[in-house]
Amino acid sequence: MVKKTALFILFCTLLNAWEFDKNCLVCHGEDFKFHIIMNKYTLKYSSEQRIKEAIFEYLKEPDINKSILPPEYIKKFGLKQKSNLDDEKLKKMIDIYYKRFNQQSKIY
Amino acid sequence: MYSGERKSILYVLGLYLSSTILLIATFFTSYYYYEQEQFIHSEKEILKKYTLEVSDKLSALSESSSERLQYPRFEDFNSAIYDIDKNLIFSTIEDINTKNVKQGFYTIDADSYLASPITPYYLGAAYIVIQKKSKDVDILNNLIYIAIITVLITVITSFFLVNIVLKPIRENIKLLDNFIKDTTHELNTPITAILANVETIDSSNCDEKTLRKLERIKIASASISNLYQDLIYLLLNHKTSLQNVDLNLSQIVTQRVKYFTNMANMKKIEFILDIKEGVHFFADRQKMERLIDNILSNAIKYTNKSTKITITLKETYLSIEDEGKGMSKNELDKIFTRYLRFDKTQGGFGIGYSIIKSIIDDYAIKIDIESKPNKGTKVTLTW
Ligand code: HEC
Repeated sequence: MVKKTALFILFCTLLNAWEFDKNCLVCHGEDFKFHIIMNKYTLKYSSEQRIKEAIFEYLKEPDINKSILPPEYIKKFGLKQKSNLDDEKLKKMIDIYYKRFNQQSKIY
Repeated sequence: MYSGERKSILYVLGLYLSSTILLIATFFTSYYYYEQEQFIHSEKEILKKYTLEVSDKLSALSESSSERLQYPRFEDFNSAIYDIDKNLIFSTIEDINTKNVKQGFYTIDADSYLASPITPYYLGAAYIVIQKKSKDVDILNNLIYIAIITVLITVITSFFLVNIVLKPIRENIKLLDNFIKDTTHELNTPITAILANVETIDSSNCDEKTLRKLERIKIASASISNLYQDLIYLLLNHKTSLQNVDLNLSQIVTQRVKYFTNMANMKKIEFILDIKEGVHFFADRQKMERLIDNILSNAIKYTNKSTKITITLKETYLSIEDEGKGMSKNELDKIFTRYLRFDKTQGGFGIGYSIIKSIIDDYAIKIDIESKPNKGTKVTLTW
């Protein structure tokens, strides 16, 4: 039973990780800039909750004025598409994004 | 030390000391607060400097892209960072509150803290808390030592001060005392001479007018003699050789009343006597005479003309009641203070009552004075 549950959890994580790869990393890749985006969000929003909320809002409704990236950059590469993921999934993706890239857990 | 000197010394000392101590206390408290303020200010400055150091380091760190970020550590102080929602991000301070951050400057035990907000939020830090050992300045302890020393100095100086102030007064009183002593002794011989000679004048050779004059001389001399006795009694400070014997009080009272009859006749005062025979009392004769004389002479002195003085002697009490001016409550309260004169229009040194007091104290006699202004005074001695 324990084994089964453990396996299930492992499977879920893998599935989520795979989904993050599929949904986000397709475009962002193992991109160095994905770190920088997280750093900028941290600099502006400070706490985990506020960072996640801000990203969520942005992904729901990308807007050049809300972006933390420099406008020149957005002008050059264009505004991203509205996410077509449902809220729950999007939140999960953002959770994974935060978990992998946040700065606070790197502090020692 | 003259009577009341101790009281006035204590009074002046109390006043002087309490006011100076109050002054010192106010000065010291304000000094204490000033020092405290100063201490907080200097601590704050240092902590602010440390905050800048930390935020500089955090700023550099936040731009790093390495996988591990080493939190800045310093030897002189510890620090902690909180996010905007006041959750602890990282801390080198032991037992720090992980859920909240108290803002501004504060001290806990021997540590000073300063929590200040920063922007932008390097590594998400919205607040930096700096902790360092407080500078060791024991303001209160030093202050207490200084306060004790100053108070001691004030106490000593105040003693000198009181002495300086009292010196001339003491000298004056001593002078007065000596003067009274000398004159009193000088009085004795002439009084005795007058009294002896007046007694021996052959009244049969005199006409009516001279006789009356002679009577007046007798009374005046008796008054002086009385006063002399009182003064001697006081001056020798009751150190007169004491001879307590079994006295026939009835006899003594009758005799003293007779002694004052001349004086009473002058004011047309009538004595009404109710004296029980054979009342005895164990005491010194001279003292008992002083006691009765003083009460009687006061009664005569303060009563109005053509009135009655009632003297009652029973087994356990002696009462002398006049129909004089009486006394108010205030005067009654002050009655036993030496040198106090109740009525400025009448003579007398006011020493009478202090003599009465000292004698009744000697023999544990209770005195009771009932007096109503314009009705009269009733003095009752109970034993
Ligand atoms: C179709 C390609 C694509 C996919 C898929 C994609 N992104 Fe993006 N993303 C972009 C581009 C392009 C930008 C830069 C332009 C902009 O910021 O609008 C961007 C910017 C961002 C930013 C910066 C926002 C800002 O403030 O400018 C975040 C955060 C982000 N993406 C997160 C995600 C997450 C999380 C996912 C997965 C759910 C995801 N992206 C999926 C293309 C993509």
